[in-house]
Amino acid sequence: MKASRIVSWNGFIAMRLCFPSWSSAILLVLASWHALAVPLDVRPLEFRERVLANGLRVVTLEDHSSPTVSVQMWYEVGGKDDPAGRSGFAHLFEHMMFKSTKNLAAEQFDRMTEDVGGNNNASTGDDVTNYFSTVPSNHLERLLWAEAERLQNLNVVDENFRSERAVVQEEYRQRVLASPYGRFYESMAPRSYTTHPYKRGVIGNIDELEAASVDDVRAFHRTYYRPDNAILIVTGDFDQKELDAWIDRYFGSIPKPSTPIPRVTAVEPPRTRAAGYRETGPNVPLPAVALTWLAPSARSPDAAALKVAAALLGNGESSRINQALVYRGQIAQKASFGTDLRVDTGLLIAYAIASKDTLPAKLVAALKKEIDALARAPVSAAELDKVKTQLLTQALIERQTPLGKGMALGEAIVVLGDARRVNRELADLQAVTAADVQRVVRKYLIDAPAVTIEYAQQAKS
Amino acid sequence: MNMRSLLMLTMLVAPPLAAQPYDTPPPPGAPRPVAIAPPAVQTLSNGLRVIVAERRGLPLVTAELVVRSGAEADPAALSGLADLTAGLLTKGTATRTAPQIAQSAEALGGQLDSGAGWNRSFVLMTVTRPRLAEALALIADVVRNPRFAADELERARRLAIDGLSVALAQPGTLSRLAANRAAFGASSYGHPTGGTPAALARVKRADVIALHAQRYRPDNATLIFTGDIDAGEALALAQAAFGRWARPATPLSASPVTAARPVVRTPVAIAMAAAGQAGVTLAAPAIARTAPDYYAGVVANAVLGSGYSSRLNQEIRIKRGLSYGVSSQLDARRDGGVFTVAAQTKNPSATEVASVMLTQIARTRSEATPADELDARKLTVIGAVSRRFETTEDLAATIASLEANGVDPAEMTRVIGKLGAVTASEVQAFANAHWGAGAFNVVIAGDAPLFIDALRAAFPDVVVIPQAGVDLDRATLRR
Repeated sequence: MKASRIVSWNGFIAMRLCFPSWSSAILLVLASWHALAVPLDVRPLEFRERVLANGLRVVTLEDHSSPTVSVQMWYEVGGKDDPAGRSGFAHLFEHMMFKSTKNLAAEQFDRMTEDVGGNNNASTGDDVTNYFSTVPSNHLERLLWAEAERLQNLNVVDENFRSERAVVQEEYRQRVLASPYGRFYESMAPRSYTTHPYKRGVIGNIDELEAASVDDVRAFHRTYYRPDNAILIVTGDFDQKELDAWIDRYFGSIPKPSTPIPRVTAVEPPRTRAAGYRETGPNVPLPAVALTWLAPSARSPDAAALKVAAALLGNGESSRINQALVYRGQIAQKASFGTDLRVDTGLLIAYAIASKDTLPAKLVAALKKEIDALARAPVSAAELDKVKTQLLTQALIERQTPLGKGMALGEAIVVLGDARRVNRELADLQAVTAADVQRVVRKYLIDAPAVTIEYAQQAKS
Repeated sequence: MNMRSLLMLTMLVAPPLAAQPYDTPPPPGAPRPVAIAPPAVQTLSNGLRVIVAERRGLPLVTAELVVRSGAEADPAALSGLADLTAGLLTKGTATRTAPQIAQSAEALGGQLDSGAGWNRSFVLMTVTRPRLAEALALIADVVRNPRFAADELERARRLAIDGLSVALAQPGTLSRLAANRAAFGASSYGHPTGGTPAALARVKRADVIALHAQRYRPDNATLIFTGDIDAGEALALAQAAFGRWARPATPLSASPVTAARPVVRTPVAIAMAAAGQAGVTLAAPAIARTAPDYYAGVVANAVLGSGYSSRLNQEIRIKRGLSYGVSSQLDARRDGGVFTVAAQTKNPSATEVASVMLTQIARTRSEATPADELDARKLTVIGAVSRRFETTEDLAATIASLEANGVDPAEMTRVIGKLGAVTASEVQAFANAHWGAGAFNVVIAGDAPLFIDALRAAFPDVVVIPQAGVDLDRATLRR
């Protein structure tokens, strides 16, 4: 639960790769190449934005299709802000936000959500930590009160801290140690970054988690959990006037600290040379390889073309890499390409898990061949249209629920830097041309050095 | 839908009135009820059932063709046959190659998924409304005209075997599959639906063709539409795509499921060298979906181990910090089912986790659930059910499951009322009837030297099987 959605390399494929949204244009003409092209009536997300005097940003979106409401708090703090010697701390802290406060007992959040027919969860990524509950809409005011309470009055006791830290260590074991490819995924960030704290990843390690204390929890809360570092997102079944009054009531009086919010200033330098690494694990049924490149910020004008390029290479069974490595070549059990775009420098990752008796070097060559082909010849109108239609459909599927709508808004605000991007991004994707794809593939993949990671079974003792 | 029970329960857990607005949470407001219309059920002249559940708001539709036979019909030597057959549907038809099918589906924006589970095989796709007719034509083509080419069978077989080698390297997955086999013994619900490497290696093209001929027929199938569509539009689309799908003259043969008959009853430890955690699973044979005490079972499961605040998660995760998450599941199928409790934990804690699980199960037998806890757990599961009506894919999955299990799809409008009516004595009676001390098969897969001494002390009869010696095709679990 808490942090079942922690954003690790295998997680962002699901979360970041397909986060486009639909355009504010009322009519999108899908599949212009298609004989039976049909215009699709897609409405923009009609949200409201305001900022309280204490700096809290508030985004709300009314939607009465179900009698439920999603309440989300997004804090601009993530794995990149882990204190020195405390890798994994931002995520451990996220778990502690469900423990006691001045006016809430430990786990009382579950009493106020799950016990009344709702649910709650939270996740920690490299750039952001978000907390999201869905409740029957008559419980909205109580949830606002509770979010304001844990923002102001967190009060963790040592006993709860120790048991939850053990839970996070079990989470580490489950994701990294017990999963055949856990170590492979965890090696990507440290092998890809040289300087930026992104290189530590989010989940940390057992020893640094063990070193953390309740004092660290208090200091972290004081430093980052403040109204001017947070976004409150409410989507679903509510009355706007009533909601605005509740937000003013419970959040308006929270003071804004006078101290500045510490920010990561490290800049990942451009990669100057290619590098190769070999990693091993104790239970690796089939070898795997990954190629990584540095990517521009998610806010870059090149981001849309990179997402389209990634979809051409890796989105779905008909994607180029799946067809070449899994279907035709039969050299991979699984193969794909993903973008991990972040606030600062992100990653572009091609990867494959070998089929039985295939050598990793063969996978590397095959992945590179598909990337080269995309740079060399312009993609056809039909193939380009296919991925745009896929990305639009996936965005619609994502946004059927209040939770999904809120997630799209949060991602736009924190990662893309502007809530309005939620409605602009699809138009950006639709505008990508074949020449754009060739240009960004050359710039970020062909003309840039790759880090190659080979992963295999360790020698048996 | 009967929302009254939900509303009453909501009131029962209302907190005391707030005296100080900032130190205590405000009270909840008046509940806002939701209405769930029963799905429309129609039948084509060839016997194909067509079920529609409207959900407007976004221009999306999920279309799913469900064949009401699945892995339970796998011959004992060919576990995984139904899933392999369903997977091969999309790998070539009389007029399209596998790459052409993938290309066509994805150009419509969707993903053409197919597979098989217990009592069902399916093909499904979610697309925007303007693309629905083309998507349905594609679904009809792969269901009715698959080629089952020899080279595609070889490719699918290799991929499935490689996939199993990855799945079976995870201690949690291996312990679950072994516990399922231990609970069912030689029953046709005992094998992994995805098969085993040895069984997949035995499948011949003729087996696939025969299964398709026997089971994929309109009078054994249901076409489900959910989302931005009404019953009239759906019927016209169904008629165009499946109206000429001929019903065979031969009667549909039954696929009888043999009853659970466990033969391995002592705890089993599967030794996986250097496993990063132990997977701990307890499994017991359970009731069918149509059993009269099904809803009592769902609530009993919610009290014991479903959801974050269940007793098992309270005891194992929240109090003791022994696992990232523990859960239990009542998998009630058409002709029986299985109840499973599972967690992953660091190897040295495996025995403690299994013991806490058994203690908590015993508590559900010996004590009535207190009223406030029962109300909260009922609302938890009612909320989870309600949220499954919010997306077209979950809605389709809900209907598909009812169809596969032989339950009237209108039951989905009654589920919330029935869950709300379950009493503490029904929960306790359910636990006593089905969760007896001897009912559970305990399987722990992990780095055995790190837990075997403690396990022997708690369970002197424990049997250790090395990972390489496990055979999920056999009731004894051993080669």
